[in-house]
Amino acid sequence: MSDDLLPAAYRHLTPWAERWALPTQAERETTRRASTAAQLKGFYDALVGQVDDIIAHLNAFPLDQMPAPEQRLLNLTLSLAEVAPHVELYRGDPRVPFSFEEERFIAEHGAAPNFNGDLYALPNRPA
Amino acid sequence: MNKPVASRWAQQFPQLGTDPVPVEALLSDDYFQREKERLFKHTWLKLARVEELPEPGAWKLKPLPIWDSSIILVRGEDGQIRGFHNTCSHRGNRVIWAQDGHGKARRFSCHFHGWTYNLNGELVHVPQEDEFFDSFCKADNGLAPVAVDVWEGFIFAHLDPQPAINLKDYLGEAAARLSGFPYGEMTAVYAYRTVLNCNWKIAQDAFSEAYHVTTIHAGSFPEGFSAKLYDVQLFGPHRTSAVYMDDKGPTPTPVAALSHRLGTTSIAKRGARVALPPKVNPTRSPNFAFELSVLFPNFLVHIMDGLYFTHQFHPLSVDRTLWEGIQYFRPPRSAGERFSQEYGQVLQRNAWLEDTATMEATHAALKSGAKKVMHLQDQEVLLRHHYQAVDEYVRG
Repeated sequence: MSDDLLPAAYRHLTPWAERWALPTQAERETTRRASTAAQLKGFYDALVGQVDDIIAHLNAFPLDQMPAPEQRLLNLTLSLAEVAPHVELYRGDPRVPFSFEEERFIAEHGAAPNFNGDLYALPNRPA
Repeated sequence: MNKPVASRWAQQFPQLGTDPVPVEALLSDDYFQREKERLFKHTWLKLARVEELPEPGAWKLKPLPIWDSSIILVRGEDGQIRGFHNTCSHRGNRVIWAQDGHGKARRFSCHFHGWTYNLNGELVHVPQEDEFFDSFCKADNGLAPVAVDVWEGFIFAHLDPQPAINLKDYLGEAAARLSGFPYGEMTAVYAYRTVLNCNWKIAQDAFSEAYHVTTIHAGSFPEGFSAKLYDVQLFGPHRTSAVYMDDKGPTPTPVAALSHRLGTTSIAKRGARVALPPKVNPTRSPNFAFELSVLFPNFLVHIMDGLYFTHQFHPLSVDRTLWEGIQYFRPPRSAGERFSQEYGQVLQRNAWLEDTATMEATHAALKSGAKKVMHLQDQEVLLRHHYQAVDEYVRG
């Protein structure tokens, strides 16, 4: 099975997965900032109508042992969490309006792939 | 709904006064040096969580410029957590070379001449020991300790290895009020940091009132947080208060609503909140947002049902501050819970980006000398108390 596949029921989202099925928060943030308002809206509209079904599908799998297609679908869905405030609250602005320089905010978990909150188990974590 | 009745804090706490507050405390190098020598070197400071040192031998190096030191925190074979200056007893070299970091060890060995310490900080090996003189005794030359104690899983340290006041008495009633929350179960952690070019009190002030929410957070939190604080309590130099939401707010947006259905991961979620210590949200109001608590001098704890988050402001110099903002949740058990956490923590990150937006500009503008004082209104009572508590240490 190829790494770039989504689960069969969600194969139609493959065109979105290329840009947004990203394993780290840092990549999701960077991609969001590098997108236009139209790109954010397009991605949001493509997912928001079926995200309940996606979650129901993913909930059938153990979070720490997702099959590769499900992990990819989860990563795609986490991009929706990253993008949603910009569409729903910030009028499409790809950056947080009236904010500090985002690039200077360091997320200690930002570079950890498939991160589920286990910060203190990460190697090379800063103090 | 059943929010407590708002008070005039100036009447409740007349000792705080109502005058404008001089900004000298934010700008003066001399004041900063006195904060460093008289305040930070004489109070307990939070350094870590116990989950960061899960087993014997686990260590973490915490740089503390305000102590002119870096502290090695380590869990011993006996399970106790201890703290030592990262300074070799031989000629003072760093024992751990990295500026910060963490790891697991059975011994610490200095790379300079190989002096070796056990997890209790005792000097256990000196190469060519017989070349030293009678004036040297291995037993007297362990790593220099600091005092370490733990409250609710938060590891605190005091520069004085035998501090005049222990941690429990130092935190006093503030700790009693916040104890009993399931901190130890909330081990899914999302941590942010940045260095802010401003005085540490400017940074901390921005998180110590709700007056700013409707303006600064018009973007991320349009839910209708009350600009007032409720249930303000002062406990010595520490302080706590509650933030509530207005009775009605806008209907949550689609993804926010989904996140709220899948978990309790955001201060923006409304609903019954009951897993709290009895004195926090005592009426169990569904409009309760979070408890805003400041453990003096520089550690903020916000608890609510389902999560907690903390801020800490480490002064680096009079005009530079290392800020750390950390969100803690229960480990997600499913993709849905993970999604809810991601939405909640990302939105909170965005709110923190809004909070930090003003700080550097404020410091830069105050440096002009154009304004000698700042005006604090009644709902900025926690700031007023902070300046007074800092000043008491600084003036001795």
